[in-house]
Amino acid sequence: MKKFSFKEVCVPAIVLFLIAAICTAILAVTNDVTSAQIAKNNAEAERQSRQIVFTDAKSFSDAKTAGDKTFVEALDEEGKVIGYIFTTSSKGYGSEIKIMTGIDLQGKVTGIEILSIEETAGLGMNAKKDDFKNQYVGASGLFNVVKSNPGENEIQALTGATITSNAVTDAVNEAVEIYKTVTGGDK
Amino acid sequence: MKIFFSILLTAILTQNFVLAKFLGICPFLGVSKKTKTATGMSLAVIFVMVLATAVTYPINTLLVNNGLEYLQTIVFILVIAALVQLVEIVLKKYMPPLYNSLGIYLPLITTNCAVLGVVLLNIDNGYSFAESMVNSLGAGIGFLVAMVMFAGVRERMESSDVPESLKGLPITLVAASLVSMSFLGFAGLVENIFA
Amino acid sequence: MAEKKSLGKELTKGFLDENPVLRLVLGTCPTLAVSTSVESAIGMGLAATIVLICSNIAISALRKVIPSKVRIPAYVVVIASFVTIVQMLVKAFAPSLDEQLGVYLPLIVVNCIILGRAEAFAGKNNVLASAVDGLGMGIGFTIALFLMGFIREFFGTGTVTISLINDGKALWSPIFGENPILIFILAPGGFFVFGMLIMLANKIAERKGKPKAQLHSCKACPMFATCTSSEKEDCDR
Repeated sequence: MKKFSFKEVCVPAIVLFLIAAICTAILAVTNDVTSAQIAKNNAEAERQSRQIVFTDAKSFSDAKTAGDKTFVEALDEEGKVIGYIFTTSSKGYGSEIKIMTGIDLQGKVTGIEILSIEETAGLGMNAKKDDFKNQYVGASGLFNVVKSNPGENEIQALTGATITSNAVTDAVNEAVEIYKTVTGGDK
Repeated sequence: MKIFFSILLTAILTQNFVLAKFLGICPFLGVSKKTKTATGMSLAVIFVMVLATAVTYPINTLLVNNGLEYLQTIVFILVIAALVQLVEIVLKKYMPPLYNSLGIYLPLITTNCAVLGVVLLNIDNGYSFAESMVNSLGAGIGFLVAMVMFAGVRERMESSDVPESLKGLPITLVAASLVSMSFLGFAGLVENIFA
Repeated sequence: MAEKKSLGKELTKGFLDENPVLRLVLGTCPTLAVSTSVESAIGMGLAATIVLICSNIAISALRKVIPSKVRIPAYVVVIASFVTIVQMLVKAFAPSLDEQLGVYLPLIVVNCIILGRAEAFAGKNNVLASAVDGLGMGIGFTIALFLMGFIREFFGTGTVTISLINDGKALWSPIFGENPILIFILAPGGFFVFGMLIMLANKIAERKGKPKAQLHSCKACPMFATCTSSEKEDCDR
């Protein structure tokens, strides 16, 4: 039998437990203080993204659903619907890329914004640049990715990042598809 | 089924934990002098990664359900540390041969950021339990592939004539750079197989 | 660390002579991973410095209370708490930095520099010296990260951009502006630049009559302290 010593067995355990308890308490307090700010940041970021993809809109409706998809309506001063905003995602090179797409009542893309992206810096990350994003603006219907000389509804792929370009385009196309079901359902 | 293969190949080749995500660099540089030790270390890492994922996944669900997400980091690192100790004790008692080959690497795995990294990335990516397990397995195998390849390169380098100022760590890092460059060749592979 | 050093020496030793990244070769994962741009490199450096100072102070203050048997788990708990606090603060007040650092922010927990300093310094020295040691090591870490980030961003993208300065426009784009050497920003470039920096640090150390940076196997790992003696022998095989 081993000799059981209170000092050697219990004291370390108690001290460790106390440290863990104090740390947890401190974390709980910090979480309390920061969570409101984090929620505010997220809401603010969401609002800003909506404004970027739909510059003409004055306000936005609450989230609505069409089947299993959710979307937001863009409203003008009088509260009339002037377009829709969809959030879609697609698998890129690194991980999931999340995109917000604004589409007006004529079916034209008013803008896209990248909500989350973890691609290779210097290659796929260039998808965040306006030069790339603006290729989608003003066109309607589905998009295709090409390596050079983009024509109508064709997107010039990012140098060295075809997969990222495809992923962004897939997500935008998904938004276009949802748009079709949403507007089709309205009629 | 397709998604599992896609996750597995991505974790091993295109998004290799060591060579593309820079996780687990310490053992990659430190324990890669001999192919034998590199293999032992990697097998221990694969084992702990898969086990840690199996244990932390339900714990994370528990934390999220109780609004305690902010305890993730602290709980995970403690779970991993406890797990490693437990595995060590169990191996020592019941599987001495395995313990003799893997045992020495186990304590070092606690602070291996690849293990905590894979657990956190599984959650960030919103993987299901099965997907998480596959991703962890892939990350582990990716670690093994990188370690063994690199150990092979280093064994050959021992007898080569290296410029004086590059001797030691610098030339090791240049070699790592070349190994990592070879993995860039896998870019697009997974997407094209499963497209 | 038995001999008494002046506080000034404790501070500056981390800058070059005992630079945690370039001389002690610790914290290599974040050094390689987040040094694709100056901005994320400095952000990571600052976050780790804050954690390092706080954990050094807390561990030094508690060093007489913590039984040596459970000191490693106790250190880990303390460090993990500070990392989580920093993570929450960054999420709340610098969300764009959180986006850039991603998973590497919580991974500060397993940054060997922090646990290593706790074990090698804070657990044995008084609070003031530990705080200064943490600050010095943190600055050393940030310097190394900044050098990596600057070289990789400058050659890899041709410009250097810091969003807080100059409205997020490129600061300057000479020479490589049109045709950047992209490989610098990719993974192989990270290893390569790191190797070159270590070579430079070796050269400087050589002049001062100090040894080259050593590739450690297990000894630099703070968990090494928990290994049994037979394991320690195996380690050097």
